[in-house]
Amino acid sequence: MITLDLLLHFWTMPFMVRAVIVLVTLGITAGIVGVFVNLRGFEFLTDGLTHAVFPGIAAGVAFAGSGGLFWGAAIAAAAATVFLSLLARRGVSSDAAVAVVLVAMFSVGVLIVSRSDDAAGQLEQLLFGRLFTVSLTEVVVTAIISVLAIATVLLTVRAQVMTAFDRDAARAAGYRVTLVDLSLNVAIALVVVSASIAVGNLLVIAFLIVPGALARVWARRLTSLFAIALSFAVLAGLAGLAGAFTISVGLDIPIPPGAAIAAVFVASYLLALLLFVIVRRPKAGGMG
Amino acid sequence: MSYFDRALIVITVVGILTGLVGTFVVLRKRVLFAQALTHATFPGAVIGILLGFSMQLGAVVACALIVGTITLIGRITPGGAGAASGVLLAGGFAAGALAQAFGSSVPVDMTALLFGSVLSVSTTDGVLAAIALVLTLLALVFAGKHVVYAMFDPEGYRGLGYEPAAMDALLMVLTTITVVVTMPAVGAILTIALIAAPAAAARALTARLGVMLAIAPTLSVASGVLGLLLSREFSVSAGASIALVATALLGVALIAGRWMPRRLRGEVVA
Repeated sequence: MITLDLLLHFWTMPFMVRAVIVLVTLGITAGIVGVFVNLRGFEFLTDGLTHAVFPGIAAGVAFAGSGGLFWGAAIAAAAATVFLSLLARRGVSSDAAVAVVLVAMFSVGVLIVSRSDDAAGQLEQLLFGRLFTVSLTEVVVTAIISVLAIATVLLTVRAQVMTAFDRDAARAAGYRVTLVDLSLNVAIALVVVSASIAVGNLLVIAFLIVPGALARVWARRLTSLFAIALSFAVLAGLAGLAGAFTISVGLDIPIPPGAAIAAVFVASYLLALLLFVIVRRPKAGGMG
Repeated sequence: MSYFDRALIVITVVGILTGLVGTFVVLRKRVLFAQALTHATFPGAVIGILLGFSMQLGAVVACALIVGTITLIGRITPGGAGAASGVLLAGGFAAGALAQAFGSSVPVDMTALLFGSVLSVSTTDGVLAAIALVLTLLALVFAGKHVVYAMFDPEGYRGLGYEPAAMDALLMVLTTITVVVTMPAVGAILTIALIAAPAAAARALTARLGVMLAIAPTLSVASGVLGLLLSREFSVSAGASIALVATALLGVALIAGRWMPRRLRGEVVA
């Protein structure tokens, strides 16, 4: 059967090798950062940040071609994180204000793209990614940005955990909570930027939210939280890629691989929850 | 009626609706939930169109599923409803993109669903929005006091023998209806701007609920109409222009609110 044959030769195709490398990199990064997203309850903010980075991506591509994507995204991410931290500092922590500002930034991106010639096609690629056509340079850039994201959270790991469990105690212990928040924002933004090409702006959120949430269901201590989130993100990413490849080539239905991967992520999460309910493990002490 | 007139009428109806419901969404701090709903309408609408019935019907079904799942997950898992909403946000986009890929024989305009196309709304879209507005007004006239009481003092409300969760559920239903009928005009992603921005602006200008309920719809309609005119003038995406005008008005309101004497704003309600 042609499909099976193709699947077995998965590795021999350079574009697939690049896709696999990108996915493993993103899986590791998102697994680690995602645990903090979950512990700190930053899901809402993460969704907002992905929207906020979008105008940068759109502007970068519009003004400097696909090479401009990372730069544009990095600038937008920096602006958004600084802005969010300022909002939090001034006490405008109202979720409405944050949502509105971030959607507004997204609108700017849409405006930029809607002025270009092939608006619909470009928009779709920016939103849902193009994992099968990642270039070698883009693989390298993805890896570098991912390392930066991991370094940012690992350097602040103690402060993050402390702040996650007791914000006031963390402040009393001498941690500067605003800085702690800012560094997690930066890490999230870096993941958004590094995943933009591969899985697209709308689906990055699956990478950042699902592994942490899934690990939280089963893990009993911090280390297993990381272990579960990380291995899940990598494996589910590869499973999604294999699925997308099989369907695209075997059945001749071109599905965006990012969407297939996000679907695997979400389906596994629901399955894990179902298993949890069936087995009814007692809740982890101190994590609930 | 020209398509532009129709767009103006629809955006006005939708503006009043989002202003009213948005006020409660913002005061009850359900913006994240509303945002998850707006994203859920996307796969629902895609599937609705692919199966050949209306996109609003598909969107309502998807919203109902999402609300059910979020409530269920919020109960059974550590991490709670926030994580559940986040996961489903991602799931919504993925499901929409996949459904579109599998049903590629039927043309689905993805950008219209995500960012709205107020200039191509049908008369049916307009009628549905009007029905939603009438239903919402009826609900607020008859149950508005209950919603407010349950929102600001759930314990006291329970003490009177009522169930505050019922009012939360009513608010959820109203939010869902609003999101579904607004989506054709401004899209799955940008709808949240019309729900949250005018209400947050009203909140900055006044502490009185009655005044908020007047200001928020006014600002929302103004954002819609102004955004529409600007998008025609500069030939850019209408949904994005509307969202940006709404944001600009919020910015002005936040600044104006700081300069206003407290007496003008009324006393604190929340």
